[in-house]
Amino acid sequence: MKIRLNSPTFRRSAALVLLLVLWESFSQLGWLDPFYAPPPSRVAKVMVSLFGDGEIWPHLEATFSAAIIGLLAGLAVGIILGFGAALMPIVAELLEPVMIVLNAIPRVILAPLFVIWLGIDLASKVALALILVAVLIFFAVYSGIKEVDQRLVERVLTLGGGRRVLIREVYVPSVTAWVMGNLKVAVGFAFTGAVVGEFVASSRGLGYLLQFAQSTYNAALTIALIVLIMAFVLVLFALSERLERRLLRWRYT
Amino acid sequence: MLRVQNVAIAYGAEPILENIDLEVKAGEFASLIGPSGSGKTSILRAVTSLLRPQSGMIELDVPRNEVGFLFQDDALLPWRTARQNVALGLRIRNVAMEEAEARAEQWLSSLGLAGFGDRYPRQLSGGQRKRVAIAQVLALRPRLLLMDEPFASLDAIVRTRITQELLGWVERERLTVLLVTHDLEEAISASDVVYVLSQGPRATIRSRHEVKIARPRNVLETRRHPFFGSLLRRLWDELSGESPPVDYAL
Repeated sequence: MKIRLNSPTFRRSAALVLLLVLWESFSQLGWLDPFYAPPPSRVAKVMVSLFGDGEIWPHLEATFSAAIIGLLAGLAVGIILGFGAALMPIVAELLEPVMIVLNAIPRVILAPLFVIWLGIDLASKVALALILVAVLIFFAVYSGIKEVDQRLVERVLTLGGGRRVLIREVYVPSVTAWVMGNLKVAVGFAFTGAVVGEFVASSRGLGYLLQFAQSTYNAALTIALIVLIMAFVLVLFALSERLERRLLRWRYT
Repeated sequence: MLRVQNVAIAYGAEPILENIDLEVKAGEFASLIGPSGSGKTSILRAVTSLLRPQSGMIELDVPRNEVGFLFQDDALLPWRTARQNVALGLRIRNVAMEEAEARAEQWLSSLGLAGFGDRYPRQLSGGQRKRVAIAQVLALRPRLLLMDEPFASLDAIVRTRITQELLGWVERERLTVLLVTHDLEEAISASDVVYVLSQGPRATIRSRHEVKIARPRNVLETRRHPFFGSLLRRLWDELSGESPPVDYAL
């Protein structure tokens, strides 16, 4: 593999490495208090020990399950409600104000309520991830259909197409473009819902571990967990980008 | 084939067209010209039921599914290939996928786009996209073809070439055509009848002119016909009188 010295990727990687080297050096020189800013080597050791003794797996499973189920359910709910509201004025009349309010508030404030209703297990985390994703996708689908290119609608109508053809040939593909454009944000939201839900009340998950690390003032564990979550979200970002290129190949060909 | 009788069209409370009467006989090529904003496109939209007239009657002697509409914009589905776009109307008419795509490929070939079937619209030039749009409409074998300034966005050479191809097709198949255009030369060289719309609001048909030039026609050679020049001058004078003067002091 060729490394281009003038590429942005190289410059970004070099900047990251430089930051880590400086951070490590300052810690070794005693210029940084390891209680607040433990050196990268110590964070790496914590990370290795988390995986080495297998302690992390049940927590990863819990967070991933909540985030992925919440993401998929949120996508499904958002798409169905978005289509319903865009195609049936009565549904829009009822749903739009609720969605606007849900969109305006920081939806993580619903976490305690979900814990009261659904308990501290998986369901409350899924519910929070779901609501975060569903509201985002609802507006993507709703606006996607409302702002669909009317020339395409008229073209299909004059070719003899009806409502079903319009949905299949115009609305679904145009909404797919909008949804894919929001998929990365949705992935982030799903993890936010899962982790914040675990942070509020749980017995497993990365959020639970974070809460534990915070209560014991364990900065190394906190940073290790943050890095871990970032790494997994980046992997999901890459996967959603591949999915977007596959589904929207007409845009990238 | 098509009769528009006493039609009035309004957008909300604003009247656009009044007392519109025009007739296009079977096998006839009619053009509708007029000042910008006079409502030419609205008449075509009313004929295709995309717009509901305020009053009047539109009679068609052909079923709706035998009316083809060629838009000003090519408006192809960006997520479908050229072949799939052409096949779309056939698929809507329940032609099996394989047959629809085979027929689409034939149409693309006959319009000079052999080998372009797998390309998406964004991979085609403006002229190629316009040909795909023409293939999409002609593949349905319409008996009445409505065209709304279909070649306005093309450069002069491509425009003349495509107009000639389409004219050849129309003459061979004896299609009935109503063309909306602001290009007087295009209207005269292609048409049997030219209708002139007055300046809006409340625009109406102010005159009808027969084009006495024999068919088959060649778009370029028709322009050298003695009748062409005299009709062009008459239409020019009529439309010049309709257009509001420009106040350059502004």
